[in-house]
Amino acid sequence: MCFEGVSLVIRIDHVTFSYGEENGNTSGVQDINLNIDDGQFIVLCGESGCGKTTITRLINGLIPHYYEGKMSGEVWVNGGKVTERPLYDTAKNVGSVFQNPRSQFFNVDTTSEITFGCENLGQSEQSIRERLERTVQDFRLEKLMGRNIFHLSGGEKQRIACAGVSIMEPDVFVMDEPSSNLDASSILDLRAILAFWKSQGKTIIVSEHRLYYLRGLADRFIYMTAGQIEKDYSAKEFERLTEQQRADMGLRAFILEDLQPPEISPLIGEQMELRNLCFAYKNEPETLHIHEDKIPANRIVGIIGNNGAGKSTFSRCFCGLEKRCGEVIWNGKIYRPKDRLNICYMVMQEVNHQLFTETVLDEILISMEEESREQAEKILAELDLTDFKDRHPMSLSGGQKQRVAIASAIASKRSILFFDEPTSGLDYRHMKEVANVLRQVRDTGITVYVITHDLELILDCCTDIVHFEDGSIIDQFHMNEVGLKKIRNFFLKGVSEA
Amino acid sequence: MSNKLQAKDLINLGLFTVLYFVIGCCVAIPVGFVPIFLPILGALWSLITGIPFMLFLTRVKKFGMVTIMGILSGLLMGLTGMGFWGVPMGVIFGLLGDWILKSGGYKSVRRSLIGYAVFSLWMIGTYIPMYFMVEDSWASFAASFGEEYADKVMAAMPMWSIVLVAAGIFVFAILGGLLGKALLKKHFAKAGIV
Amino acid sequence: MNGVSFSATTENRKGILLDPRTKLVLLITITTLMFSTSNEGTMNIIKPCLSLVPFVLILSERRFKTAGKYLLLYAVCFLLERIALTTLSGLFSFIVLAVSSIMTRFAPGIMTGAWMISSTSVSEFIGAMERMHMTEKIVIPMSVIFRFFPTISEEYQAIRDAMKMRGIRFGGKNPLLMAEYRLVPLMVSVVKIGDELSAAALTRGLGAPVKRTNVCQIGFHFQDVIAFLICILCFVLFLFQQQIVF
Repeated sequence: MCFEGVSLVIRIDHVTFSYGEENGNTSGVQDINLNIDDGQFIVLCGESGCGKTTITRLINGLIPHYYEGKMSGEVWVNGGKVTERPLYDTAKNVGSVFQNPRSQFFNVDTTSEITFGCENLGQSEQSIRERLERTVQDFRLEKLMGRNIFHLSGGEKQRIACAGVSIMEPDVFVMDEPSSNLDASSILDLRAILAFWKSQGKTIIVSEHRLYYLRGLADRFIYMTAGQIEKDYSAKEFERLTEQQRADMGLRAFILEDLQPPEISPLIGEQMELRNLCFAYKNEPETLHIHEDKIPANRIVGIIGNNGAGKSTFSRCFCGLEKRCGEVIWNGKIYRPKDRLNICYMVMQEVNHQLFTETVLDEILISMEEESREQAEKILAELDLTDFKDRHPMSLSGGQKQRVAIASAIASKRSILFFDEPTSGLDYRHMKEVANVLRQVRDTGITVYVITHDLELILDCCTDIVHFEDGSIIDQFHMNEVGLKKIRNFFLKGVSEA
Repeated sequence: MSNKLQAKDLINLGLFTVLYFVIGCCVAIPVGFVPIFLPILGALWSLITGIPFMLFLTRVKKFGMVTIMGILSGLLMGLTGMGFWGVPMGVIFGLLGDWILKSGGYKSVRRSLIGYAVFSLWMIGTYIPMYFMVEDSWASFAASFGEEYADKVMAAMPMWSIVLVAAGIFVFAILGGLLGKALLKKHFAKAGIV
Repeated sequence: MNGVSFSATTENRKGILLDPRTKLVLLITITTLMFSTSNEGTMNIIKPCLSLVPFVLILSERRFKTAGKYLLLYAVCFLLERIALTTLSGLFSFIVLAVSSIMTRFAPGIMTGAWMISSTSVSEFIGAMERMHMTEKIVIPMSVIFRFFPTISEEYQAIRDAMKMRGIRFGGKNPLLMAEYRLVPLMVSVVKIGDELSAAALTRGLGAPVKRTNVCQIGFHFQDVIAFLICILCFVLFLFQQQIVF
């Protein structure tokens, strides 16, 4: 479509939007003006709550058709007014991929999931089959066809989601933090998909915290603060910023090679001995095989490895969630699975599952051997939660929930804490906050293990790394110069050899 | 906003029906293994499912949603091999429930409790085959034990006892509704879900 | 949590392949005839025959253990029912009769239902409903239901793990509190997933006022015809059992 002689695909004209009461936590946008040319690759960046997700919803029509609120202004995509067209019409032009791979698929098997969009639009069976064949080839999905989506990894789910959108052949792709829940190698897969769409001349809009994988693909970076467009960078201008400047803007690392860890003196400390941590899920082959090994204790230890490497099985076994799974020897004491349930605590990625009571304070009190309000208040103060002590845990933000879970673990006097992807989907400031909390926890004498795909978090606070592959520990190292090289290689190329 | 059911409403319907059904089954399956408890199964079911149902009602603003939930629940019962009597019962009691809720503008607390209790009566559908069975057994019972003994058995589970079963469901549904309302206030409202 | 999950996909399928509509007819036949008839005359032969149907179907999938267990259960209950009716007396016989007759009537239906669910993929089932011209108001919620069975079991497992980590004293012995601690987080996360799912489905054109296509391949074959004939035969015998005299 052409506006004033330029091939403009998207035009957002003086749009102001605020969410209704239901979505009180999400902030809207004010007076947004944005033109996007055909074939451009746009990155929307900025801190959480800056309004970048709202922009994606303006383009795919979820605002105002799904999320209700107060809106003024107009949005055009391909010459049609998104604000006036029903969602199923916009769906033909705009394909959307979302943050959470678990919640965006509608079907149980992969094949129906990919064809779902075309079926909804009532396309002919013949044409859907042809498109399916092409999409499977383009995305190299042969091995994933006819599978149960519930048995796929997050990265595979996200690839299916992309294929399910791609098959509809929209002109515009809108993605809302698509890398949030992905591991290092899946992020590289995602990059390949984006490159494919770009090569087809599609217009792409990605709202994202993680920026490094978009380097070399994106044409424009739109930086937002407090619901407004603060600055519109070309790729060149954005590249010229220093990491420090980007950090000051609250943005994540763009050039991983330039990241430097702060000076840390590697602690040569105690070790924990693992014996016979082997495990197989019911009716499945063994996924974890550690016969005898030692891992660092009393530190913040990063656990890395790609999906399926056995990291989460390891943490489950270590925490004693799986019965009959080996021994851990520490300080001369042998801990069996049942003992470990009492000394370990895992802060899950979905913190929602871990909070049960009606106020934050109750959550802490119920974890204590003997309820002591004084002690509870002290723990809350340490974790910066005093202001929220009477709030309902579910009404808090993700980071706050995480801190409540940590507080309850401290209250129940655990000495080993596991974190499962504590920084997925967090912006720079919140990631730093998590790193600070981890350090604080360690300073109280608690051993911290962090399963993470976040290089910045590792550089910020981990002193040791344990690398998993195929259910075994294949490498472990201190974060010294050699270690730094290894970890960079892992994130940039998917290998950890120095 | 139009009064027709839209895709969003239909997804909500599926979502809450599955919660309703699974939560109900969690109670029904362990209890159902003991045949003596069968008569109170419906009552227990409607007590616990009051929680998801009250949450469901916060999203029901259109006529027909409760009816469809009744049909879906009946279908699910049928698919798990319990017979398809729940479907027609789901239509009847779902429509009544919808009508009661609508008369209260989908807001009145009292109407929502009564509406839920009436809707819960669809469970009678799952009892119908058992009553057929009792009647059949009575015939064969009478043949082998004599009518006097068979009458005693019938006294323990006579046809009119279905009224008691229904009354049990109704009363416990009211209690379940109150429980749901209480949890709504205690958790879901504060958590920002409602 | 429970076995109700249409998680079967088209991979590695064994056994007698039937169209989902045929399976539905089989299920309706079995549940209807098993419940609503007495043990006299022709039905005395039809019922045991019908109860063999799920046995044969499961056997054809080479799930010998399941099939064997079912057959054993049914046979024992069937015999107990006869014994209780003819030779025993008193309260004891009443209890035996109650348990065994409930078992013989429910077990075949439940087994057929379980077999149907485990041998059909969700998309096949949805495809079948669409071919039967069922309204979208039933089909869409149904697909959501089947998609959420595994989700609920995943979420529930995560909550159970979390409770395990918090320690056994958590929740105590108060059944209401136990239910509350389990149900509240479960419902919160399921509702959240549901909201995100709605948004994602709408951006992919769900709800467009056109007839949905369904690319799922289902259709009737020889074995379907046989199954239909069996069902019709059973119903005919049931309806005319008074007229038929041996």
